[in-house]
Amino acid sequence: MENGENTARDPSGFLSQIIGAPVTVKLNSGMVYKGLLQSVDGYMNIALEQTKEIVNGKVHRDYGDAFVRGNNGMAHLPYN
Amino acid sequence: MLFFSFFKTLVDHEVTVELKNDISIRGTLKSVDQFLNIKLDDISVVDEVKYPHMSSCKNVFIRGSVVRYIHLPAAAVDTALLEDATRREAAQASARAKQS
Amino acid sequence: MADAEEGAASVGEPLDLVRLCLDEIVFVKLRGDRELKGRLHAYDSHCNLVLGDVEETIYVVDEDDEEEETVRTVKKQSEMLFVRGDSVVLISPQAPS
Repeated sequence: MENGENTARDPSGFLSQIIGAPVTVKLNSGMVYKGLLQSVDGYMNIALEQTKEIVNGKVHRDYGDAFVRGNNGMAHLPYN
Repeated sequence: MLFFSFFKTLVDHEVTVELKNDISIRGTLKSVDQFLNIKLDDISVVDEVKYPHMSSCKNVFIRGSVVRYIHLPAAAVDTALLEDATRREAAQASARAKQS
Repeated sequence: MADAEEGAASVGEPLDLVRLCLDEIVFVKLRGDRELKGRLHAYDSHCNLVLGDVEETIYVVDEDDEEEETVRTVKKQSEMLFVRGDSVVLISPQAPS
């Protein structure tokens, strides 16, 4: 997970390498989800663990697990 | 195919279709296709005062993509059967995904 | 996690999370500030759903003369509901805290 040069060139390959890592997921609606990346599929549907829903910078809700549908136009960012 | 088959079992039942533009239309489900386009007979618009412009229609065709919800008669739905069919469909879908 | 491809396969796919929710109460977030809570009876790969004993919550923003916004919630019940997948944003196994 620490190596930048070994990262796969296609997005799903990259995402499957960061399974288990904490990520931030930003939807088109402006909604932000932070959690541990459980899985991703070809539609870019994602499953998160220990998910926090963030609205206007504040934690709005907690979900144990969450399935986020792929076509909501999102960016997955590493989370720190 | 799961929901196409499911809706075929509900033909001739009374349903309420809520569209993405908030109009709700109640009627008898007459047919459905693979895109979940549907035909309703003997329709009535739920909020007639707010949406009076459809009162002259007796039957309608609704494009599947404009549907938000379809309210179903619970008595006409075998939930155990539906859950089994869902598991079968999920198993098929993931087998297909692994092949490709 | 020796192999990226194998690693991804072993954790399964996101829809497995939804499969584990069959016959359980789920929370569903939809486009247009709507939320549903109900028992999951069916789903497919488009996220079309059938839910039983559903409570729908709609968040309506009212704007008054002074442009002050207040959020009003409207609740509706349904005994059996088909939800078209293209409105679905998120599905979670338990009711959010």
